[in-house]
Amino acid sequence: MALTRRQFLTTVGGGTLGAVIAAACGIPEDELFVQSPAEMPEDMVTGLDNWYATLSHGFPTSEGVVVRVMEGRAKKVEGNVDYPINRGRHSARSEAMLQDLYNPDRIKGPMARVGERGDGNWEEIGWSDAISRVVYQLEQVSAARQNREVVLATGPMVSHAGVVVDKFINAYRGTHIGYEPLENTNLRTVMKNLFGQDRLPDFDIENTNYLLSFGADFLNTWISPVRYMRGYGEFRQGDRERGTLVHIDSRFSMTSANADENVFVKPGREGLLALSMIQVIVSSGLGDPVAARDITGGGAVDLEQWAPENVAEATGVSAEKIKHIAEQFATHRPALAIGGGSAGAHTNGLFNLTAIYSLNYLVGAVNAPGGLIFNPAPATDDLADAEANLKVGSAADWREVIRAMTDGDVKVLMTDGSDPMYGLPGALGLREASYNVPFIFSFASQLDDTTAMSDLVLPAHTSLEEWGTDVPAAGPGHQVVGFQQPVVRPFFEGRGEELGTKSMSDTLMAIAGKLGIDLGLDATDIKGVVENAARALFNENRGSVRADDFRAFWAGVLQRGGWWDTDSVANAGTVTTKQLPANAPAPEFAGPAGSEGSFHLVPFSSTSMGEGQGAHLPWLQATPDPLTSATWQTWVEINHKVAKLRDIREGDVVRVVSAFGGDGITAIAYPHPGVPTDVVSIPLGQGHKAGGRYAEGRGGNALSILADRLDDETGALAWAATRVTIEKVGDWKRLPKFENNNPDFARDENQRIIKITPTDS
Amino acid sequence: MALLGVLGVTSLVGLAAVVFILLFVISAWLGRPLSVFGYNEGPDQPIAFPHTTHAGSVEDGGIGLDCTFCHRNVTEGAAATVPSVGLCMTCHAVVGDGLAEVEKLREYSAEGTAIDWIRVHRVPDHVRFNHEAHISFFSDQDEILPSAVCATCHGDVATMEKVRQVEPLKMGNCVDCHRDNDAPTDCTTCHY
Repeated sequence: MALTRRQFLTTVGGGTLGAVIAAACGIPEDELFVQSPAEMPEDMVTGLDNWYATLSHGFPTSEGVVVRVMEGRAKKVEGNVDYPINRGRHSARSEAMLQDLYNPDRIKGPMARVGERGDGNWEEIGWSDAISRVVYQLEQVSAARQNREVVLATGPMVSHAGVVVDKFINAYRGTHIGYEPLENTNLRTVMKNLFGQDRLPDFDIENTNYLLSFGADFLNTWISPVRYMRGYGEFRQGDRERGTLVHIDSRFSMTSANADENVFVKPGREGLLALSMIQVIVSSGLGDPVAARDITGGGAVDLEQWAPENVAEATGVSAEKIKHIAEQFATHRPALAIGGGSAGAHTNGLFNLTAIYSLNYLVGAVNAPGGLIFNPAPATDDLADAEANLKVGSAADWREVIRAMTDGDVKVLMTDGSDPMYGLPGALGLREASYNVPFIFSFASQLDDTTAMSDLVLPAHTSLEEWGTDVPAAGPGHQVVGFQQPVVRPFFEGRGEELGTKSMSDTLMAIAGKLGIDLGLDATDIKGVVENAARALFNENRGSVRADDFRAFWAGVLQRGGWWDTDSVANAGTVTTKQLPANAPAPEFAGPAGSEGSFHLVPFSSTSMGEGQGAHLPWLQATPDPLTSATWQTWVEINHKVAKLRDIREGDVVRVVSAFGGDGITAIAYPHPGVPTDVVSIPLGQGHKAGGRYAEGRGGNALSILADRLDDETGALAWAATRVTIEKVGDWKRLPKFENNNPDFARDENQRIIKITPTDS
Repeated sequence: MALLGVLGVTSLVGLAAVVFILLFVISAWLGRPLSVFGYNEGPDQPIAFPHTTHAGSVEDGGIGLDCTFCHRNVTEGAAATVPSVGLCMTCHAVVGDGLAEVEKLREYSAEGTAIDWIRVHRVPDHVRFNHEAHISFFSDQDEILPSAVCATCHGDVATMEKVRQVEPLKMGNCVDCHRDNDAPTDCTTCHY
């Protein structure tokens, strides 16, 4: 219908009159309130913001953050410029802490199961009732006090919450198992074997000149991405010569996209490739001669078998390319080789990482600027003990725990929000085994997959409501103790003493108190424990915060978000042998062979949701994947030519089936030219059975179809060793993504700007 | 009567209504709307707080509190701020037994809930108004107490049983006053 001039004028006139009348009536009374809060501390003023420093427990490395608080409400998270790990930067995961605090699906009070386990029917009970139930169950166990009767699964934490957990579980001679979804067991073992280090090192990306990265998606999700990204910024655009990044991977990751050169390697052959580079460097005399003698055992190891010509076929990388990269690496010092992620997640993962990190010896990158920087032991004795006692479970350790559960040897299973039932491969059978455990309780703040299978929930505070400390999983090369303080009152405080949430450490200490166990903590709550820790640091009288009296010191560490001592450095450890393995084990894969049209499955962590830890936060769900720009779903990346051959188009729903995990999972196909032809990759993070309205029943969980193949030596989960088949299910769904929703610009037909060479290398 | 004959009663009533509505609209456009049908009276608050009792002079039966006693931030920051329930209770824990409105306040305090007062004075979201700057300017210039400045915009609140808005608080108000006092009238003075 065309609009006539008269209609237009009538509408405009009427609208104007209406607007004027509406304006004359003023703002509706109930539209705007001015609130008198019940209580208002002196330092808190309506309309003025306060910023408090605290920690974001990232997964896996924590970040220092400052939180904007107005009228007692947390409004915004920013990076803490002082904190040595992230130095002012922060991740989307930290940003979304607010949604963890205000999440509509948070558990609001202690709950007991009604009906069958896993049915999802709960009854709210009071805290005193809940704690007496736990005490009753633990009293049954304490009569026998046998090993393994109590199992406590938490995230891997070196912190004072970890100290409390450690002391509590020791009192029961139970098992504390640290759960890490994509475990770094192999990496830690290599650090121990090759460099004599008990913890992960820092990588001095900022000062390196040539960075060779094997499978480590360090710009996106690997270990401490915010720190590495910051270093990478200096590496590329700092006040220095521009560094070169060569990334070697079996999938096209965010780090691949940023690399000067991206090299595809056949899955599990990263170690062989590294050995070949060692051969080139040693035989051409480019490397450090002492190191060359050490790692070859004075010629005992036959390097020639790995000459580029001999490994080109197995690795899928041409001999010329291997030679070129090896020479560049050896001649552009300081150079640094790092490896991890899928490179260490094969049945020969330990070997792969050993070969990769040995490269660093040849270029003098061990505990040197621009290379690996080792981290010293935690600053206080109790944290050092907690670190020493922390057992981060490998898949083999989990297998043992699960066997004990199946045999009925485990009487009580406790867990925090780390959710092993979601993240452990279905083939390990934790869910099935848990039915043989008489009592399961959880400290989670969300009803995650593991908590949904428990008998009792003792809901925990979120990070912004809690006291704590943290020693970063990969430190910055010197001692750091991050301090976490509550920036708001607990959100459910208004529900009274008997309901609402409590800190996990406080609950454990209360339980210990009822049981008459002395934890030897010299404090009644976690705040006291943290204060004692600060006192120990105050007495050291060194580092970033020093003061004449303890109150000033305490204020200082809380204002800065922690304490660190840049002078505390680690020495190179004592190593018995640096010699390379005599031969290169081949990776083994589980599932249908390649001849049956199957693919290597290379899962990868979601930038925002990690391995599922952030799936209940809508901001993280909606954060686009940096490469595909996809959100809110599970997709499967497949080579575009292979997809065409199989008549798979973007949006086709496909079923991904391995020999494990039953019917497999469904995902939306995303063909793109960066994927090698024999690989498919799937982001992790979705496919939760529980976890609230945002996480539940969305997408598929690639972890559930993984084979329970382990590294031969360390027992670490070989999470990249599964082969899968793909079939269309005949359905089509639009992949929710940002890119290509509008028509492309004119194509660069002659490839004058960028030459795409997908999988020829 | 002749006019009545010509137009008819209905038309005359209609005309009167239109004139009235126009008067209402024009008055609202230029300043405060006509005080009819409850307009311009100020809203009923969750607790009928009498400024007369608290801020009114002792001669008038009040206790003569200074404005800044409760609106603590008015000389320090952008927002004047309303006091917390806790501040009210410093007196009313013991004062005012048996008064219905005080009992309401004690209930809020006991339950630890906030009071949602209905906002009376408001400038649009695109305007930044800072109390502190205005209070200090006038109290310095006229050498008067900060609390004596409040009435410039808010009227004599001490005599209001129920707080209502007396000045239109429209841009014309602001600009007039800024001109009279040689204050800047750049857009970005208030809109930033």
